[in-house]
Amino acid sequence: MKRLLRIPWRWRRRAAQLAALALLLWLFRRTAYSGEDQLTGGENIFFCFDPLCGAAAMIAARQFIAQFWPALVVVFLTLVLGRFFCGWICPLGTLLDCFHRILRPIARRTNRLSGGAPSRLRPVRYILLIVVLAAAVFSFPLVGLVDPFALLFRGMTFWGDPALHEVAYAGFERLDGRWGAESIEPFVVEHLLPFRANVFRLAGVSAAILASIFALELVARRFWCRYLCPLGAMLGLLGRWSPIKRLPAGTCKSCNRCAELCRMDALSDGLSAEDCTLCMDCVDLCPRGIARFAPRRPSSNPRPVDLSRRGALAGLAVGAAIPALAAAARAFRPREKDPYLLRPPGVDDEDSFLDLCVRCGECMKVCPTGVLQPAVLESGVEGMFSPRLVPRFVFEQTYCELNCTLCGQVCPSGAIPRLSEQAKLARPIGKAYIDHDRCLPWGKETPCIRCEEMCPVPEKAIKILNTYTIVNADGFELEIQQPYVDRELCVGCGICESNCPVEGPSAIRVRRVDAPDPGTETKLEPTRRGPYPFRREG
Amino acid sequence: MDRRKFIEQAAAWSAGACLATPIFDVQAVMAAEKNPDKKSILVVAVGKDYSSLVETVLKPLGGMSAFVKRGDNVVVKPNIGWDRTPEQAANTHPEVVKAVVRQCLDAGAKRVLVFDRSVNDARRSYARSGIKAAVESLDDARAKCEYENKRDYVPVKIADGKSLDEFEFNRKALPPECDCYINVPVAKHHGQAKLTLGLKNAMGAIGGNRGIIHRDLHRRIADLNLVIRPKLTIIDATRILLRHGPTGGKLEDVQVLDTLIASADTVAADAYATTLFGEKPDYLGSTVAGARLGLGEMDLAKVEVVKA
Repeated sequence: MKRLLRIPWRWRRRAAQLAALALLLWLFRRTAYSGEDQLTGGENIFFCFDPLCGAAAMIAARQFIAQFWPALVVVFLTLVLGRFFCGWICPLGTLLDCFHRILRPIARRTNRLSGGAPSRLRPVRYILLIVVLAAAVFSFPLVGLVDPFALLFRGMTFWGDPALHEVAYAGFERLDGRWGAESIEPFVVEHLLPFRANVFRLAGVSAAILASIFALELVARRFWCRYLCPLGAMLGLLGRWSPIKRLPAGTCKSCNRCAELCRMDALSDGLSAEDCTLCMDCVDLCPRGIARFAPRRPSSNPRPVDLSRRGALAGLAVGAAIPALAAAARAFRPREKDPYLLRPPGVDDEDSFLDLCVRCGECMKVCPTGVLQPAVLESGVEGMFSPRLVPRFVFEQTYCELNCTLCGQVCPSGAIPRLSEQAKLARPIGKAYIDHDRCLPWGKETPCIRCEEMCPVPEKAIKILNTYTIVNADGFELEIQQPYVDRELCVGCGICESNCPVEGPSAIRVRRVDAPDPGTETKLEPTRRGPYPFRREG
Repeated sequence: MDRRKFIEQAAAWSAGACLATPIFDVQAVMAAEKNPDKKSILVVAVGKDYSSLVETVLKPLGGMSAFVKRGDNVVVKPNIGWDRTPEQAANTHPEVVKAVVRQCLDAGAKRVLVFDRSVNDARRSYARSGIKAAVESLDDARAKCEYENKRDYVPVKIADGKSLDEFEFNRKALPPECDCYINVPVAKHHGQAKLTLGLKNAMGAIGGNRGIIHRDLHRRIADLNLVIRPKLTIIDATRILLRHGPTGGKLEDVQVLDTLIASADTVAADAYATTLFGEKPDYLGSTVAGARLGLGEMDLAKVEVVKA
């Protein structure tokens, strides 16, 4: 009777996994503007829990970042329990497990076809870990390219969420209120769907990376976790000397069941403590019921780590060579500073920003207008996936909201500072410049000043320089107002650039504060002519 | 399937999809409702309690039930364009919107929709303007404050348009989905249009690229009002923005007038509201263009002005 009531360990583990996944999804949905200027906090908790992100950012920026304190909890628990995080918490691991479950009929066959575990790949994760940390020593941030949470969160933000929005809305449009759609639509729209489907650059790349991680399940179970994940490698090394061990430390002579079951392939060659994620499958499914986890004194002769000295040195060399090569390339051919590379509000120094930023994508998720986009190669490979403003993108309304400070609130590493509304206004993102050749009132004698209308600065940073009247072909008077930018007042929000009705590049563009004056603005004398043949457009 | 068949079928399907896109023609319905002989009545009311002020300003017009019939689908269209607080005077005052919606509900409306196509982020504008909270505080399932939905925009022909032939409009603001459209703009300064009042408020019920409107702003605003035909316009001049509009943000630019203007004639309401800014009705190009199109009377001498 007692035995029947006992809850198997695997069920407890699954409950923890699903709870962590649900928490991630819930926090993901909460990472958005919801009517309050201040978020409740904790939206970025998965990144604060991540010791790899924490270590890499702190090493690269040479400073202690207090926001990463939950990572210390994970480190401590890992020292005690071993690599439990990967088995019990990590949402990417949970999703891979779910995916494997769905694909089990196919995956069984393909896993066998691939010849089981390619154990030669075991050192790869350690080498990746060493490369990331060594490059961080040279202030060359690579962690965002390999960190599992960053990959998952960016994939969800750039691709998953917009796709969900589009599919759901297309479905509702098709149903048009039939089959009960009318009654569930408000609930789904308000609670389950993102407010809008933002389009992101690199969405395809992010989706492809994530898709390959899932596709590798067909080669071996938890392929990513076993062979590639640098966070898993770090936790495995930390948990190597944990006092809690699986017993017996290997398979029995007559039975190999646990080794076959193990999703991490931790028992194929004695017990590999760095691989065991305490998933408890072997405990619950042991035919003789002898497998268990219990405290034990560390063995004096443990199984060696799957990394040769040569491999470690190669990792160090690569980690040092990448920054050196990048620096050499820059010295050989100096990169021209992109005057339009606008960084999120409050970011002053490009280099320290790139050091601190872990490319988690939180700021791009929370940005209400979708103006924060990942950089591609504008600031080099090391700047890939870091946030920048793109004020004129697919949507009409991509600009920085004057009163919004959400990006600084969700940044786990402080790369984007937390600013009050007032402090944000005092730190302009850039300064706007008008191209007189493209501007309708300046170059085409067409009324416009949409930029002036949009300008959110209470005193208007865009003002009118000249006003004159023309008479069009219908005999109707049109007033032409020619705008200029008061750059003392301009905050660089980019709403003028995003709303400029000129086709192609905007006639008013925001440039970095430190970019030189392009000198395209000329104070032309207004010409008087009439009647003027006014073209009908639209 | 061979290549030729495939191309034929693809062509047929695409042609079908193009032709199936409905182009609405609602003006025929509207034209029948025009009554040019009737003299426009315009009511002006002043008072501190905005909730009862709405009732006061509507009384000489026969109350809300003169416009909203039992079972009507009503649209109340305030200005919720900007991420600004009520005292900054960039959006319609939430108390005014709330009172108008309540009057519609009391008149027996089946449904009252409140929406705008915000310029700033819609969530921020709806929240900071106080309008979403005000409508929700009525706690009536018939009253809804909705965000724009892209699938509501449909192309509409503007037959008598002087500067526009066709534009995308929000189908929720047009018959048959809307029986009564009530226009509740805020009166404020605007750099290009000079002022934004009743006619310009139609900009929140259109889709498409609104930047194009600005190339011939006054006439195009008037053209839009050939399609968007409010049964009632209530101009919110409880506080008006004198400078740096339409966004504002400085309280020094705001003047409190505690005034509401109501009329079934949007052009007359705009003409009167212009005088609050110390200008003559012909100061506003859209009023002139609207009067030329026969949308209403801009000569205040020919309008019956009632002070309530």
